[in-house]
Amino acid sequence: MNGRDERRVNDPLDLESLPGQARHVADDDEEGEGAETTQEGPSADPEGRGKDDSEKLDQYLLRRYHLYGDRRAREQLITMYLPLVRSLARRYASRGEHFDDLVQVGAIGLIKAIDRFDLSRGVELTTYATPNIVGEIKRYFRDKGWSVRVPRGLQELNIRLNKVIDELVPKLQRSPTINELAEAANATPEEVLEALETSQAYNSVSLQASPNGESGEEDAGLIDYLGGEEEAYDTMEDRTTLAPGFAKLDKRERYILHLRFFEGLTQSQIAERVGISQMHVSRLIRRSLEKLREEIGDLDNPLPLRSSDDER
Amino acid sequence: MTENISLEVPATLSALSTVRMVLGGLGARVDFSLEDLDDLFLATDRLLEAALDAEELDSLRVLVIVDGTTLRVTAGAFSSAELRDQVAVTPGGCIDLCILLQRLVDDVVVQEEDGCFTVLMVKQRSERVA
Repeated sequence: MNGRDERRVNDPLDLESLPGQARHVADDDEEGEGAETTQEGPSADPEGRGKDDSEKLDQYLLRRYHLYGDRRAREQLITMYLPLVRSLARRYASRGEHFDDLVQVGAIGLIKAIDRFDLSRGVELTTYATPNIVGEIKRYFRDKGWSVRVPRGLQELNIRLNKVIDELVPKLQRSPTINELAEAANATPEEVLEALETSQAYNSVSLQASPNGESGEEDAGLIDYLGGEEEAYDTMEDRTTLAPGFAKLDKRERYILHLRFFEGLTQSQIAERVGISQMHVSRLIRRSLEKLREEIGDLDNPLPLRSSDDER
Repeated sequence: MTENISLEVPATLSALSTVRMVLGGLGARVDFSLEDLDDLFLATDRLLEAALDAEELDSLRVLVIVDGTTLRVTAGAFSSAELRDQVAVTPGGCIDLCILLQRLVDDVVVQEEDGCFTVLMVKQRSERVA
């Protein structure tokens, strides 16, 4: 047994020493959509864990995190409260944004609530986290405003098109045509093209932006708060010596550019691999290229992306 | 039967929107997928942006030939050797204009004429796998 194992066994506050609780997190992860719709947080435990027990566990984990800096306790709290985030995000899912995106944004609110929680105030985490999560989602909608005046009809068509594209891609197993989009969205092809064109006037929150809305190198970007990264990101990084321009991109952006321009994958293939919509891939490619362009000029003197294999 | 559409827009970034709308309409007519169109938009945007950066232009000229399920987009004429090199030459292993165009459209041809050159980009409708 190594030193680390001994410390865990001997630690009276170790999470593993609380029977059933580590397992509960795994159970939460395995819950289906049906379970989530009725569960608004850990206090409504389908396994019969009482509200008092939940509060005790919350307080225990919060103490572990705030007093001892235990990151695992923080992660466990985040996992435990994700059903609450999903439940709250679902209330806003009809507004044209992807449910998964709203969950990610809501999760940022949850993390802020956990990080800012004041043990001395004696309130429940659910009570404190709910307005934080809702506030984060509302801010997301507020910040995703239209940067130029676009007629409401086109805005609505654009929102409708996002949904239609998401429905048609899996159904057709390919990218839909403009005519197919027009038919499905009950619009003319010209209206579809105009709506897609106007979508370029739609702001999106940069994942590099500080969650506080401030810039600063020491601030973590929103991307740092999002879910786990695909292992392939690192594999790609290992194989490639990145140019300085690429350093300005986050891992997902680098990965997507790599897949599109070096592996030759289509947007749909990338979307499937990364787990986001084709439209989102399209927007990320444009945004990443724009960042590259700003960073290294107009691509006339690009710095090489050498494979480490080339150097051998 | 082919169909030729000529377009001349002011040499400004905001005019690229007009070019995209025209390409979009023609792409819709030959049943391009959203992805085909997006690739063509990006390629055209990048080429014309590079042209605007590389030389002083009064206007941007774009000729589109609709040929069955293929769009042939010719931009120019341009005179900048720097732009020609950007389009035609790549050191490899980097995302430069040459690589971008090669990946986004099916063919890129630099056509020399009277000391100037035009850039032809060919985009075919993707095959329907499903």
